[in-house]
Amino acid sequence: MFTLRRWWDRYGLQLGLASLALAGAWTIRQTNGLPILEVYRLASSPFHAAPSREEILATAQFQELQHRLADLERQNQQLQEMLGQLPQQEQPVVTAPIIGRSADQWWQQITIGRGSEADIEVGDVVSGSGGLVGRITHVTPHTSRVLLISDPASQVGATISRSRTMGYLRGQAANQAVLVFFDKVPDVRPGDVVTTSSLSQLFPPGIPVGRIQSIDLKKTPAPEAVVELSAPISFLEWVFIHPHTSQASATDEN
Amino acid sequence: MLKVSDLDPGLRQTLDWAVTAGSVLLCALILPIRLPGMELLGVGPNWLLIWVIAWSLKRTVFQGAIAGVCLGLIQDGLTMATPTHTLGLAIAGMLTARLQKQKYIQEDFISVAMIAFGMAVVVETVTAIQFTLQYFLSGSPKFYPLLTQTWLYHQQVALSSAILSSLWAPVLYYPLNRWWESLDAVES
Repeated sequence: MFTLRRWWDRYGLQLGLASLALAGAWTIRQTNGLPILEVYRLASSPFHAAPSREEILATAQFQELQHRLADLERQNQQLQEMLGQLPQQEQPVVTAPIIGRSADQWWQQITIGRGSEADIEVGDVVSGSGGLVGRITHVTPHTSRVLLISDPASQVGATISRSRTMGYLRGQAANQAVLVFFDKVPDVRPGDVVTTSSLSQLFPPGIPVGRIQSIDLKKTPAPEAVVELSAPISFLEWVFIHPHTSQASATDEN
Repeated sequence: MLKVSDLDPGLRQTLDWAVTAGSVLLCALILPIRLPGMELLGVGPNWLLIWVIAWSLKRTVFQGAIAGVCLGLIQDGLTMATPTHTLGLAIAGMLTARLQKQKYIQEDFISVAMIAFGMAVVVETVTAIQFTLQYFLSGSPKFYPLLTQTWLYHQQVALSSAILSSLWAPVLYYPLNRWWESLDAVES
């Protein structure tokens, strides 16, 4: 009893502190870093980029193109309705600043400055000027985390927009990805534009992803091509979040 | 100037805890930032590892392990929880505490930088091993689908992370060590 008492006197405080620290760290893990991310957003908010003159002009141009695109899409929708196909509902787009990069070396992630308060949900699709960026994986009230398409863990069903050849895209870190074809002899040329395919469950079809850089037809088990992603993710400061109800949110990525 | 020795012991203890917790928070907050000079091949310094090393250098193996697990849990929360970061950081903490520093290594910036270099390689290797185990254990690996890719990427990550962590280690180690030393001097 006495030894126990002496042991407790000696190590009790240390043990208590250690368990306190462990409990705190566990809470942070279980809440997916919520307290740290919220503090991070607050602390970094004075540094969030205010748009410059060129950016405002570029945005204006971008919006003009968007309006034209919206017009064309509406016409397209009307034509589809005439053909008897179901029209897709237009959904609002949220704009968010990129406030942080990946917090470790193995995952390609970014943190953006809008969260569940702006109606962002897990599974929403993120795009930037240039094309597809990634998918929301974690949400806190004012921030969300995006798994980039350049991460090896994210696989995107993709298609060559010229020939409609299908395959899936596997991230390869940095600004590249590998497109693995389903066909043995795919109709593909360097420079072809790659978009998300209608087979993709996590992403809506038709979002531009990148361009074919080089092709390796001899690769086994399936021919592959290196794709240069069109959104310059390391330079981007703003992204757009599109609500997307994925057909298989919890199942395998594809 | 206010001296640490003039403070009330209770206040000093609280201040010590605040400095310790505050420095961990600071490290976690710097992690997602990529400032110029802090990035090599898209990889930044591993600030949490630097903190674990600074903490474990003059502490016991048990304390090093607990610090590694705590900071690993925090990093799990900030990125992805599988594979876990706790294992690598705990091993790094224990190894740092086990090093016979009095015998082989002097207490200076160079040795801290060297320890950071070695431990960064250890941490990245532990992560790569976890990815490899996942590849063999699960039928359809979800994260790094190709083994060759994992280890190719490991080389790149381990080297850039080791270089950057060792270069930035003294920045964190110096003030923290100074603080803990002054506390020790008062208490003894």
